[in-house]
Amino acid sequence: MNVTIVDYGAGNLRSVANAFYLAGADPVLASNPDEVAGSERIVLPGVGAAGPAMLALRQSGMAEALNIARMRGTPIMGICLGMQMMAERLEEYGSHTGLGWIPGHAGPIEDNTNLPCRVPHTGWSEISTTPAADGLIGRGARDRFVYFCHSNCLITDEEVVAATVECGGPIVAAICHETLFAVQFHPEKSQLGGERVLQGFLDWKP
Amino acid sequence: MPQNRIIPSLLLRGGRLVKGEGFRDHRDAGAPPSTARAHNAQGADELVVLDIDANREARAPDLEIFRAIASEIQIPLTVGGGVRDVATARQAMDAGADKIMVTTTALDRPELITELAELFGRQAVVLGVDVLLNDDAGTLFDHRTGKTAGTGDWLGWMRDGIRRGAGEIRLMAVDREGARSGLALDLHARARTSVNVPIILEGGAGTLDHLTQAMAAGADSLALGTMLVFSDNNLVKLKRVLAQAGHPMRP
Repeated sequence: MNVTIVDYGAGNLRSVANAFYLAGADPVLASNPDEVAGSERIVLPGVGAAGPAMLALRQSGMAEALNIARMRGTPIMGICLGMQMMAERLEEYGSHTGLGWIPGHAGPIEDNTNLPCRVPHTGWSEISTTPAADGLIGRGARDRFVYFCHSNCLITDEEVVAATVECGGPIVAAICHETLFAVQFHPEKSQLGGERVLQGFLDWKP
Repeated sequence: MPQNRIIPSLLLRGGRLVKGEGFRDHRDAGAPPSTARAHNAQGADELVVLDIDANREARAPDLEIFRAIASEIQIPLTVGGGVRDVATARQAMDAGADKIMVTTTALDRPELITELAELFGRQAVVLGVDVLLNDDAGTLFDHRTGKTAGTGDWLGWMRDGIRRGAGEIRLMAVDREGARSGLALDLHARARTSVNVPIILEGGAGTLDHLTQAMAAGADSLALGTMLVFSDNNLVKLKRVLAQAGHPMRP
C-alpha cells in the first residue's frame, strides 16, 4: 500500500519512511501538494516547533491539500507535532492556528498537569488505551511501552481520545476521530510496538 | 511516567567507533552501523553518536555515518560534534537524527541553543555539559583546550542553557570517562535538584553495581560507553539486572 508522508521541511522524515517500509508499506515523500491528492493513506509527521511547521504547511499549499484529502475521507495519521497540528491552536514560542480538525489546543505539559514531572516528557512510557484504539494499538506488554519526546501536550474532548499516558497526570497519547488517527509518541522510534501501530493504521478501515 | 533509560554512547573518529579514557587515548571500538544494529536489537533505549573530531577540525559532522546508523535502528538517535549552526543541524536531522547535542559549539555561541529550539522544538535540543570533578564543586570543562570553560560554573551554564531552550542535559563527569570507577552521583544530584529537564548521566560506569546504585540514587538515564565496548556485558543482561533490582525498565 502507498503511504504518502508529508514533507514540510522540518523533521525526521527518513525514519518515518523507513519504519513504514519495514511495516510492509510503500512510503512516498511528498513536498508538493499535488502529490497528496490521490494517496491512499497520508502521514503527517512531526519533529519541530509548532510555528515554523504550521507556516511551512500553509505556505507550501500543503494545508489546503490535506484539508481536501480529509474531506474526501482519506485516512490521515499524525505523529507527535503532526497530532498537535490537527487541533485548533498551538502554543509554542507564540500562538499558532492549527488545522482545526479536532477540538482543543496544544500547550505546555507543565500547565496541564498537577504532579511534578520532568519536561520535556522524554523516554519510553506505558500507555493506556480506550476501545477506540482497538486494532490500531497492540495489546501486548511490549506494545504498551512507546517512545515519547515532547514539551507540549494536546488538550481535547474526551470522545476523541484513544490512549493516554501518565506524566504528572494523564495526557493524551493518541486520538481517533472520523478518518484521523494520531499519536503523541513516535511509532517510528518504538521498535516492535511502533511497527504494530503503523500496521494498524495501514489496515485501518475507518 | 518514562521508564529508566540505558543509552549507548558512541564516539566517532575517522569513520570508526572509538573509546577513550578521560577524553584521551582512544582505542578502536568497531564499525558504526553494525554496532548500532546490535544495540538496537538488544534493547538500547536510545543511541548517542558523537563525531569527536568534527569540532577540533572545525568541520561539519560525518553525516553519511549518521545516515548509515539511523537506517539500522528503530530507537531515537541523538547526534553531535561540530554542530555550530542551524544548517548543519538540519542536515543531521535529515540524515536521521532525532535530537541534536551541542557542547562546545554552544559555549562558543549560546544563541545556537535558542536557534535550534525555535526550529526543532526544545525536546530535540540536548545540551552536553562536561564537568571536571577535580574539586568538590566541579568545573565546566572545554575538551578542545583541556581547560576550564569560562568561569567554570557548570550549574550556572546548565541553567542558562535550559533557559535558552535546551530540553535535555547530557551530564559528563570528564575524569570518570572510561575509568570504570563508578558514576558521579553527587554531581547528578546537584544537577537534578537544580533543573527540571531530563538528565542523562555519563562517565565512570564499570560494573552492574554501579548502574543499580546510580538508579537507586535517582539517576534514571545512564549513558554507557566503555562498559558496553570493552567488557562482556551486554544490554539485555544489564537491563534484566536493573529490572530485577526494581528499577522501571521497559520490557
